Amino acid sequence: MWLLMKLFYRTFAHLLRRFGLGLLLVPVTAVALVLFGLHAWTVLAFLLAVAVAFWWPTVAAALLPVIMVAVGVAGLVLAATVTGPGGNWMRSAVSGFQVSAKPGGGASWVIKTPAGLQVVQLPVAAARFGVGQGTITFAGHVPPAVALNRLHQAQVNFRVASKAAAAKQIAVNKKLVKRPPNAKLPQAKRIQRPAAVSGVGYVAAAPRPAFRLWTGPGAVHTVISPVPRPSPWAGRLVPVALLLIALGLWLAPRTFAEFRQRTPGLLPYLRRRMQEIRWGILLVPTAVLGLTIFGMNPVTLGMVAAAAVITLRWPRVAADLVPVLLTVFAVYGFVLTARWESAPLGVLASHPQLYGFVEVSSRELAVLAGAEASAFLAMAAWLFPRTVVKHGRLLTAAEPNLELEGRVQRLTETRDHALHNAASELRRIERDLHDGAQARLVALGMNLRAVERMLPASPDAALALVAEARETSVRALNDLRDLIRGICPPVLADRGLGHAVRALALDTPLPVVLDIDLPGRLSAPVESACYFAIAELLANAVKHSGARQVQLRIRHGDGLLRVEVSDDGVGCADPANGTGLQGIERRLGTFDGILAVSSPPGGPTMIVMEVPCALLSPKTCSC
Amino acid sequence: MRVVVAEDLFLLRDGLTRLLAAHDFEIAASVDTAPGLLSALLTERPDVAVVDVRLPPSFADDGLQAALAARRQVPGLPVLLLSQYVEQLYAREMLADQLGGVGYLLKDRVFNDDQFVDAIRTVAAGGTVMDPEVVSKLLGRRSFEGPITRLSGREREVLALMAEGRSNAAIAQRLFVTEKAVSKHTTSIFTKLNLAPSEDDNRRVLAVLAFLNA
Repeated sequence: MWLLMKLFYRTFAHLLRRFGLGLLLVPVTAVALVLFGLHAWTVLAFLLAVAVAFWWPTVAAALLPVIMVAVGVAGLVLAATVTGPGGNWMRSAVSGFQVSAKPGGGASWVIKTPAGLQVVQLPVAAARFGVGQGTITFAGHVPPAVALNRLHQAQVNFRVASKAAAAKQIAVNKKLVKRPPNAKLPQAKRIQRPAAVSGVGYVAAAPRPAFRLWTGPGAVHTVISPVPRPSPWAGRLVPVALLLIALGLWLAPRTFAEFRQRTPGLLPYLRRRMQEIRWGILLVPTAVLGLTIFGMNPVTLGMVAAAAVITLRWPRVAADLVPVLLTVFAVYGFVLTARWESAPLGVLASHPQLYGFVEVSSRELAVLAGAEASAFLAMAAWLFPRTVVKHGRLLTAAEPNLELEGRVQRLTETRDHALHNAASELRRIERDLHDGAQARLVALGMNLRAVERMLPASPDAALALVAEARETSVRALNDLRDLIRGICPPVLADRGLGHAVRALALDTPLPVVLDIDLPGRLSAPVESACYFAIAELLANAVKHSGARQVQLRIRHGDGLLRVEVSDDGVGCADPANGTGLQGIERRLGTFDGILAVSSPPGGPTMIVMEVPCALLSPKTCSC
Repeated sequence: MRVVVAEDLFLLRDGLTRLLAAHDFEIAASVDTAPGLLSALLTERPDVAVVDVRLPPSFADDGLQAALAARRQVPGLPVLLLSQYVEQLYAREMLADQLGGVGYLLKDRVFNDDQFVDAIRTVAAGGTVMDPEVVSKLLGRRSFEGPITRLSGREREVLALMAEGRSNAAIAQRLFVTEKAVSKHTTSIFTKLNLAPSEDDNRRVLAVLAFLNA
């Protein structure tokens, strides 16, 4: 036994390592299989889960907590509707009926169920209508209200011994019709031949939860009363369900985080798809709603599939269809309610109609269905201006402005870059200040304090410390100077791009041939972006190109600043390679500027930047 | 010696005037704007001016511009520029008139008051004082152009120290050689840079200018 357990543990651990947490999907769906019973769809779901667990372990791991919670909740719902020793919060449910009849009736009876109902077993003892009891059993667990409703819709065919008895029975039925104990009792029209020995009776509601079966001459012979039957599952269901929910909730953040990590592109993709689809997302649920109204058949299933395809391919059409479909369903719901009110009771009563979330089998439920239809209509009215009207306006407006859309897209991208750049720049400045000038000032303060203490005792040592403090202050100033150069170079602030580039060229350890013609200043952000771009290009030329000379040409004309940087180096500069050129391209992008690179192997390299901007007068601008 | 001080921050202006007074300078005027500086320079005609590059009204290079304007009207008016940063571009502009009497130092150099006062006196005497930072950037260049390429390494070193405003004696002390050797180097430098022997100080200025423009 011990060996077996060890073997099991080893295998399990190995499988877990091989397939990850997703493997747990198999036992969880197995539990669901037991909970919900062996049906085609549960088996299918189980097989699907096994397939997913083995082929897509990542997906399985992400699905695991969702399915755990879902199964747990379903289990709790099930537990709430099943009898058992689980506690008084659980309502008792009906799993069978006891039938008792008084002797002397002399009739036999058969309960025939309407289509789709599950009253199956004949009461054997009661068949002779003489003695005792019989049981009507429902397949599965049925809540009392539903059970009574179904029984109520059952026809009871009866056969009586004599013509006299039959006449009596019919009289009873007629009386019943005249003064029905329950309004839902159908008219006894179906009993057509007074002399017949057989006929149809109906189960009428007695004070609930019992029923009386009107069959024999004595009328109130038969009493059907619900018998609660304990469910073997109820006791274990609740703890298992709660355990599953707790485990699922605990696992969820972990597996989701891992899933996000492994599929980084998925979330942005979904978000983008959601933005495209918008209200179209409602089409499939709406189509499923139609499934409940018109029943499940090839046509309606095809409609649901079509809805899914439309949602994915033509999201706008899907969004337009949602309010239209909802309106159709609402109209159908109103007709249903109206007909239920006016029609002969028997006609619809024997054919309960599912409408959305309501199974219409009584007048009250019909009214509820009407309310539901109103809700659908209201939702359609709310959606209408957001879908059909909006799209119609787009269609009637001028042809889609692709240029504008492209512009919006570009602005969104460049704004993101700009914000990101600004944030990281601030972080860099903060770090530099913190590690540089700030730290030195702290050291300075400490030195001066030490000097204070040492001055009376050892003036010489204090003097040395003062010299050190002065040195520290120089270094702090140097740090600040470097920092300021990186934020806003002084010459750029003082005199603008042309002079700043001249100063930059002087500081560059390569000969830079300048050809600058800038009669005025540019806006401060453009100046700054261009300056740092040029600085980076010059630094690249010094570091990578092996060039002997760099040529720099700056011109402004027709609202466009054009900067050309070329060198006689080895070439092979590639924006796709390395982040420097890409960074320049992104920074210029904020100003709708572009960067073009021509750098064949062996050189020469020529880089052109163009930024649309206006020339300002020299006096109006300062950094 | 009469000095005009131009500095817009009160604390620094106050410190500067006190430092200069302590070294027996006479403060002819202390101003805090560029127009004020220009009129003070033209009316007071001081022996030397100590000027902050960044001054009101526009807080750009107004101090530099005012000093240049004053030197256009009073050629060779000695000006020592102080700044939080040094730019070769500005150094060249100051030296462009080839008259000397120009200094360009980081404000930090004030910390060492002896050297600072020496620099002021050098400028007042028509010499040229460039901040070591400017000079080190010049030396950091990979290649030079023109006559400066003819200089030997040692001569370039001597020229760099000359640009910092040091006298031959100071250069000799710094390079651990005799003053005679230094003066041999300087003569050689002037020859290689095609500077005809005239007034010595002016040749020094021209040599520094050639160095800057290389």
